[in-house]
Amino acid sequence: MTQDARVQEFVTAFEGLRAEVEKVIVGHREIINHVLVGMFAGGHVLLEGVPGLGKTLLVKTLSECLELSFARIQFTPDLMPADIIGTNMIVEDAEGRKHFQFQPGPIFAHVVLADEINRATPKTQSALLEGMQESSVTVGGASRPLPAPFFVLATQNPIEMEGTYPLPEAQLDRFLLKLRVRYPAIEELNAIIDRTTHSRPVTVERVMTGAKVLAFRELIREVPVAAHVRDFASGIVMATHPQAADAPEVSRRFVRYGASPRGAQALILGGKVRALSEGRYNVSVDDVKALAAPALRHRVILNFEGEAEGVDVDNLVTQIIESVEATTARAKEPFLR
Amino acid sequence: MAHPESLDRLVRRVAAQVRRRRAEHHALRGAFWASLPAVVVIALKGPIGPRAVAIAIGLVVAGALAGAVWGLLKRTSQADAARLADRAFGLDDRVTTALEWAERSDRTSLVDGLVADATARVSALPSRTIVRRIMPREARFLPVPVLAVIALALAPAVPLPSGRLPDFTPGGEEEEKEARSGSGVLEQRSPREARDKLRPPSFEEREFSARSGAAAASTAGDLSAVFKDTSLASQRPDFNSFLKKGDDRLKLLEQVDRLPDLASDFTSSQYKMVFKKSKALAGGMNPKDISPKKLKELLEEMERLGRKGGNWSGEVGEGMEALEGGHSDKAMEAMQKALDKMRAQEDAQRSGKGLRGGRDNERGSGRERGRGDGGGAEDQDFGDAEGLLPGKGRSPSPKGEASRRLQASPYDVGVEGESRRGRKDGYDTNMTGRGGQMGSRLQYLGVIGQYRKLMEDAITRESVPRDYHSQIKDYFQALDER
Repeated sequence: MTQDARVQEFVTAFEGLRAEVEKVIVGHREIINHVLVGMFAGGHVLLEGVPGLGKTLLVKTLSECLELSFARIQFTPDLMPADIIGTNMIVEDAEGRKHFQFQPGPIFAHVVLADEINRATPKTQSALLEGMQESSVTVGGASRPLPAPFFVLATQNPIEMEGTYPLPEAQLDRFLLKLRVRYPAIEELNAIIDRTTHSRPVTVERVMTGAKVLAFRELIREVPVAAHVRDFASGIVMATHPQAADAPEVSRRFVRYGASPRGAQALILGGKVRALSEGRYNVSVDDVKALAAPALRHRVILNFEGEAEGVDVDNLVTQIIESVEATTARAKEPFLR
Repeated sequence: MAHPESLDRLVRRVAAQVRRRRAEHHALRGAFWASLPAVVVIALKGPIGPRAVAIAIGLVVAGALAGAVWGLLKRTSQADAARLADRAFGLDDRVTTALEWAERSDRTSLVDGLVADATARVSALPSRTIVRRIMPREARFLPVPVLAVIALALAPAVPLPSGRLPDFTPGGEEEEKEARSGSGVLEQRSPREARDKLRPPSFEEREFSARSGAAAASTAGDLSAVFKDTSLASQRPDFNSFLKKGDDRLKLLEQVDRLPDLASDFTSSQYKMVFKKSKALAGGMNPKDISPKKLKELLEEMERLGRKGGNWSGEVGEGMEALEGGHSDKAMEAMQKALDKMRAQEDAQRSGKGLRGGRDNERGSGRERGRGDGGGAEDQDFGDAEGLLPGKGRSPSPKGEASRRLQASPYDVGVEGESRRGRKDGYDTNMTGRGGQMGSRLQYLGVIGQYRKLMEDAITRESVPRDYHSQIKDYFQALDER
């Protein structure tokens, strides 16, 4: 199969998968796109939104569209790490001999829905760390690989903060993208009412296998990136650091910690998926700009002043992008060279 | 992998557009900066002549050409041109990425597809100018020197300065005409005369007429009135010394104690009057240079004053003798001694001791001469009224005869009074009881007069702030009105 055919296959698969999800999920086109970007880039996605916006439904629908195993973990304060990872249990074989046998937890699934992840204690939240980063878990001294592809989709509620445990920065950094699920528009709301209040439930088809997902992940990594696009992504990440020499004023004023190198990786990897999903063979500056907010909003930690003034991280990232763009445009202006 | 021809062609086309825009940009800058010396050249068209316009135009054209050449020579990188093309045609960085990755050894399998995709898209692009024109900042100000060049070219030549400042005196124009008409005449003059003619008027030394103290009429606001009785009055102002060391007049102004108080009445004090005249006579001059005539007049005046009760007649006599012998310095010394005695006597009269009756020889002698025997109420001379002061009566008692009123029992004396409205509110009091029937020995107006004189002397001699003078005088005026 030629490269063109492979790219075309990916475009078709991407659009097909999106179409299946959109059978159930009304609106949220950008959210669905970004969830798919995260999945094909090999990352994990954190969905944040108020209850009732279809976060869990989106993940469940996606899992139904894929020929992959799916596990849902409802995070509660009394949830223990063993409840996620699994544990060694004493079992008795046919001959009556007893021995320890590992009972895998729900994390051993291709698609894991960590629902309301911020309701579990940090100890339990940390149980996901190793699995999300290295696609393996260590139980009883033995490292056990997770099935591939492994994809965690977590949800959290931003307003019900009573009895919640905000995710630590290390945990947040594991998520490739953080998506904010907005309230639907009235047309979308009407469509939701129409779809969900009649007797015939909507069914989706499985349109993609795990092997295909892995193959597409390989293809995505071959998408070339020009040096100036890479520099642009690096510039954005560096500009989120208030200590950087050429950090913009907004970063110096409102940011406590900037994005990690994982942020730059997310920008480029996400850009590759986005480019290829549009049938493009290269990453453009616009791809990076489109993914800047989802890739950086959970990696930029505001300082006290930023929190006190209610600074929106998305706006902050937008201003940083404008600053970097202006700097880059000035530096690249042919007349000034 | 070789670059596809279409991509290279696109990049070359864009680079050429960039060079052309750069040439325009720098040509405008060059024209602006070259127009500045062109303005100067046009301004000097008088000495340069008709070639100035050509030179100015040549400068502007040369500047523009130099700028254009500079812009054309500047290199445009392939990446910059490719990025411009991507941005201008909305190619989403395809050209840049394709050109960059086509040369790389680690290119991925998708690069071929990228190049093919980019080539196909570029081939379909229309040929148009995509590099916008960027006007330099100097272009906004270019009309200013250009208009200046045109205006100066049309205007008559600006005359150059001749090296001589214009002479605005009435005869200046005639002299100038004379100098212009005959250049040979100037050569015939002596070099010093010619140099004097060229000297700017401001550097000429001004000729001041000598001002003598008596001869020079002082006008209002003329400070020379202050110095008219001093030796400085006849001195000629020297501006050099004024600038370097400060004028003596200003130094004198700083010495407040030496300045005459034009507002005060010096005739009230014999000593001050004579002292003033003696200082004016000496005025820092050598005693030998003092006018004997004026010195004699002063000594005669001192002698006249001494006859009224002064004890400096001997010194005055010595001075007169020395003056007749031609020894001005000795005469001055004698006058100084007489002045000292005069001052001592006046101090004695004005001091608190002078108020104590019966001790001072002067007062005793005064009594012998029949003065001060009760005195009238209008007699305000201190010496004459001494006996009227409490404790200063003609009594063997050092403090004078006590008032009879004091002998009365204090319980027999009361005071009653009523407020009085007038220009100044007051309170009239009357003695009651037995003591109130006894008459006072003191005459009101006489006592007030004596104290008024003391007040005037104190104002003159003591350092009473000037602002208080009128207040004090008003107070005594109010007492008189009663």
